[in-house]
Amino acid sequence: MKNLRLLPLVAFLVLLAPVRARAAQVKIIANPSVSTDAISGRELKSVFLEEKNSLSDGSHVEPVLLKSGPVHESFLRQYLSRTDDDLRNYYRVLVFTGRGSMPKELGSDAEVVAYVAGRKGAIGYVSAEAGVDGVKTLAITDGRSPVERRVITRIEPEYPETLKRLNIGGIVRLQVTIAPKGNVENVQLLGGNPILGESAVAAVKQWVYATAPSRTRIEVSVPFNPQP
Amino acid sequence: MSRRILNLILGCASVCVGLTPMRAQEFKLFERTVQVHGFASQGFIYTNDNNWLTMNTSQGSAAFTDFGLNMSTQITDKFRIGAQGYDRDLGQLGQYHPSLDWAVADYRFKSWFGIRGGKVKTTLGLFTDTQDLDFLHQFALLPQSVYPTDLRDATLAHVGGDIYGNILLQHHLGDLAYTVYAGHRSDSKYSGYSYFLTKYGVTSSSFAGLQYGSDLRWSTPLKGLLIGASRMNEEITDNGNLSLGPGIDFTSYSAVSRADWTNQFYGEYVIRKLQVDSEYRRYLHDQIVSPDSLETISDVRGWYISGCYRITKRLALGSYYSRYSITSVAGGAAAPFFPDQTDTSLPANHVYDKVISGRVDLNKFWSAKVEGHFMNGYGNSSFPDGFYPLANPGGFKPNTNALVLKTSVNF
Repeated sequence: MKNLRLLPLVAFLVLLAPVRARAAQVKIIANPSVSTDAISGRELKSVFLEEKNSLSDGSHVEPVLLKSGPVHESFLRQYLSRTDDDLRNYYRVLVFTGRGSMPKELGSDAEVVAYVAGRKGAIGYVSAEAGVDGVKTLAITDGRSPVERRVITRIEPEYPETLKRLNIGGIVRLQVTIAPKGNVENVQLLGGNPILGESAVAAVKQWVYATAPSRTRIEVSVPFNPQP
Repeated sequence: MSRRILNLILGCASVCVGLTPMRAQEFKLFERTVQVHGFASQGFIYTNDNNWLTMNTSQGSAAFTDFGLNMSTQITDKFRIGAQGYDRDLGQLGQYHPSLDWAVADYRFKSWFGIRGGKVKTTLGLFTDTQDLDFLHQFALLPQSVYPTDLRDATLAHVGGDIYGNILLQHHLGDLAYTVYAGHRSDSKYSGYSYFLTKYGVTSSSFAGLQYGSDLRWSTPLKGLLIGASRMNEEITDNGNLSLGPGIDFTSYSAVSRADWTNQFYGEYVIRKLQVDSEYRRYLHDQIVSPDSLETISDVRGWYISGCYRITKRLALGSYYSRYSITSVAGGAAAPFFPDQTDTSLPANHVYDKVISGRVDLNKFWSAKVEGHFMNGYGNSSFPDGFYPLANPGGFKPNTNALVLKTSVNF
């Protein structure tokens, strides 16, 4: 009976959830040998198109793909602007003209994480909810600034009690503008549940980053896991 | 007869292979992973009039088969090696004589600077290096004005080296890919030009020489738009024997190029399910022929515009318009035997081809195509373009319609 009373609230929250939230949320992971903690979307695309086999800091990288599924489709659409068929044909050109090889393809998040953890330079992608033991998660920057921004003070967002009780979680994606001094100038919600997003924005606005020569805009993913 | 049976067997085999799920193979060698990939295609062409591509197409011909197999491995983070064997049968060409398609050692220092050496696929325009890979293309036959399949050897590969790289431009201006190359090109004895020369009693023993050039392509900030330009220079020598008639001894024959070059300009635009390609190629072939002290200059120009649209995941439709023209002039003592051809409105000096095409992807590894070609002209003067006198002993008719069926598999 108590649960029935919560029904309108659940319906309200579902309606609030943006359409884009239906797309699988993706997290970029890398072997710890990859020295950077952030990579631009453009650089990530170059790595997965085998145009780059090293990052600007010189560390070797190699792409690892999921075979199929919503996370795979979402990654291709978001970061490579290609369909699975397009990408497959792209790799075939490389393979059959002697200009590259077919990247490793694996069937599940767990397999990707395990492979990336054990393979020097490997970069892959998994569902935002996947465990990431033994690998590092890379932040995606917009590529306008090559400067890496390290968080010095991190405030954890408040998890709204009702959503937690209802098992509503997920990843909130934010675009964060950081001043040269390290304070957060602006935060914009890119995707995710808007109530969780509000909480994430409030927290991230208090974060402090290391100083840098110029203003930086990066993308930050904030996970909300109702069952930690 | 035996070739017909072989074609039938290969055709059936490719279909059977297509019915089974195919996966790229891998094995370990000296603790390194070696990838193995392959492809095969089988076609059939029927024409209403002229025989095309050295096949007896007016009766319907399935002598249109090719296949390849490659292996490659990553030696270090930056160093990779690989090789591919290729074989084909296209009417009188290829005749199942296998060739080394490419064999490459590739060292990539940086994304903007790498070198590769060995037998390397030549970068020229959008599709020179992938013209044999049927499964990549909408069309069973790429526009023959720019990618003549009977003359594939002329531009396909060189034994030498490339310098290449990708440069990400600042300020979101897209990226540039460049390739600079030099090497030795060598045509197969079973290529179209050698077959063409037999009309004049010439039996080529080698058709080879230096080839060098460059390619620059820009992926523009406008998403999906690529434009580029390629240049290739050649110094080619054709050696062989010349027979002036029955009962007359052979004499040695050579043709040395004075200035052979190719310019190619191209663009590609991909938006959602639509892809539009266009290219222009000009090839100038200037050679001195001995023993007749003959100089011939052939100016070959071709362009096309193509579009294809993916209707569903399995079905795509496409069309192109392709124009080929050739002029040739001759000088020297033997010039009177080779009258100048400068009027490109004559069917002998052009081929205009209108094409419609449908492609069905039966699964990720197997596709089938059906295509209609509506051609005007047969472009056969000093240089061939699909139509050969030896395959058409009764002479040419000005128009040719062709039905092309093709299926291909890859793994």
